[in-house]
Amino acid sequence: MADVALLNVTKRWGGFVAVRDQSLAIRDGEFMVLLGPSGCGKTTTMRMIAGLEEPTSGDILIGGQRVNDLPPRDRDIAMVFQSYGLYPHMTVGDNIGYPLKLRGIKGAERDAQIKAAAAKVELGDLLHRKPRELSGGQRQRVALARAIVRRPTVFLMDEPLSNLDAKLRVSTRAEIKHLQHELGVTTVYVTHDQIEAMTLAHRVAVMNQGEIRQLDTPEVIYDRPADLFVAGFIGSPPMNLVTGHHGDGVFTAPGGFRFTTRVGHHAGPAVLGVRPEDVTVAPAGGGDLDASIYAVELTGDAVLVTVMAGEARLIAKADRAWRAEIGSTVALRLDATRLHLFDAATTRRLNPEAPR
Amino acid sequence: MRDRWLKYVLILPAALLVMGTTIWPLGVSLVTSFRDWRLTRSLTPGPFIGVEHYLIALTDDPDFANAAKVTAIFTLVDVAVTVVSALGLALLLRRAGVLHSVTRAVLILPFAVSPALVGISFRFMFNAEMGVFTWMAGAIIPWLKGFVWLADPVAALLVLMFSDAWRWVPYMTLVVLGGLAALPKEPEEAARIDGATEWQVLRDVTIPALLPVLAVVAILKTVFALKMFDQVVTLTGGGPGQSTVTLAHLVFSIAFRWYDMGYASAVAWILTALLVFLAVWYMKLILRKPGGH
Repeated sequence: MADVALLNVTKRWGGFVAVRDQSLAIRDGEFMVLLGPSGCGKTTTMRMIAGLEEPTSGDILIGGQRVNDLPPRDRDIAMVFQSYGLYPHMTVGDNIGYPLKLRGIKGAERDAQIKAAAAKVELGDLLHRKPRELSGGQRQRVALARAIVRRPTVFLMDEPLSNLDAKLRVSTRAEIKHLQHELGVTTVYVTHDQIEAMTLAHRVAVMNQGEIRQLDTPEVIYDRPADLFVAGFIGSPPMNLVTGHHGDGVFTAPGGFRFTTRVGHHAGPAVLGVRPEDVTVAPAGGGDLDASIYAVELTGDAVLVTVMAGEARLIAKADRAWRAEIGSTVALRLDATRLHLFDAATTRRLNPEAPR
Repeated sequence: MRDRWLKYVLILPAALLVMGTTIWPLGVSLVTSFRDWRLTRSLTPGPFIGVEHYLIALTDDPDFANAAKVTAIFTLVDVAVTVVSALGLALLLRRAGVLHSVTRAVLILPFAVSPALVGISFRFMFNAEMGVFTWMAGAIIPWLKGFVWLADPVAALLVLMFSDAWRWVPYMTLVVLGGLAALPKEPEEAARIDGATEWQVLRDVTIPALLPVLAVVAILKTVFALKMFDQVVTLTGGGPGQSTVTLAHLVFSIAFRWYDMGYASAVAWILTALLVFLAVWYMKLILRKPGGH
């Protein structure tokens, strides 16, 4: 087990900058999720930790030791790939045992370790099959067993759930979380799925365009997004973002949108953010803002109410029994303790002290 | 009525063309192989003598035995050299880059040269007085100075193999490169992370995944090596002695130097049977459905 550190790491391919001068410290035993849209540099960052890509500049440290010049095989890491990366001509048992074979572990000892790893991921009776005879979920278990069989100091997981169907993704997610907790191995996990990031991570690094935009616990990322990108990327349905003007503690937007924010120190163009679950739809006249119903969508566990407030379109999450006619007038109440105010020019958050 | 016959009428010209140019000569040569027919004695085929030609070829003809031996040695070495060199070069050229893509494009050129011309060029390059290879070999290894390559039985066969490898290896390299490009890269990366050296990655992951492509290269090269003819004629002429006479060249000699059409047909059919067997195996291999067995 070890901590992992990136110090001012840049990766460039010709004129394209995949990762731009980023530093990141991952603690021993931590579950770190790199989250971001495709092309944000998260996979490149992980591949540099693995040694599959060389950083253009900067240092990578594992357990305090600089590993830039070490090939992947000498970094004592294990990796799980999105498309599993199994050896197609080897049986499941040989796949799991390959890292042991390379380390000269033979015979009964190797068999015992293969069996133990297979049992941990519930693969016991499939050891003699070939990967092509397995389902996607079983293949990913083989990849997991191969990763845990030799107790590496760091796990790297590159979108391991992306090729699984929705139901299997949920159960495998829980298994990965349980496994990581049980083994206590430092884990770096790359995903574009915010639910995976929220559920698995001790800390999340939200990345965009080669930069870490926010690095914090899932709670903070959700409750206090550091900028407009993080605010819009995390949450489903996404946070309502209204572009307007802020001054003297009041936010205004075209069409008569006006709200008292209690954030006193900013004057100028701003973006007001509020999550759908922090917007309450009330009878007309009984709230902070007047609005009209634009659409009502039942999702099963909730009703998504889209309303027009001035020229802004907002989504509110209401109780699943809630009903209204399209076009009718309602009032909105915004939870003032859970408002997010961003500078329209810098996109940075203006109210860091907002309570949770 | 007319519709029923029209389709046959329409394919008739093509069918006649194939019959006249392929099936008919094949049939005639098969029949001829069972008859005694020497052009020096008669312009028309002689009596049927059963399988006697086949028996002579397989049991009692030192020329056939020699040609079979030469062909076998040539084929084994040629195929081994081609597969190993093509794999090696393909692995070197696998990386992306301007130099690599230019080299890949140039690789097709040797295959564009007519095999007969390859033979003629190599004969000049191995010429005892003015051959560039003769000179280079002498310059690098002093005791090879003045060595007459094409006058030595073993060396002549080696030169023949070398000329054929020169023609085929670049093309087969492209085939292997295609196979490499189709491989997913995750298993190789997984092996590197699992602790494998580059050599172990190659041995345990890359080559096993590439086996179907290498098998295609090997079988295809075997077929072409077995019917080796052009460079024998233009490079060594079968000599010195009979040291580079292949089966295809022997058939040519029996038929068009010694005018024994019946025996030539029989030897040709022995070679054909071997080639058809390999060709069918090859077709089975490449037409096999991916993932199936």
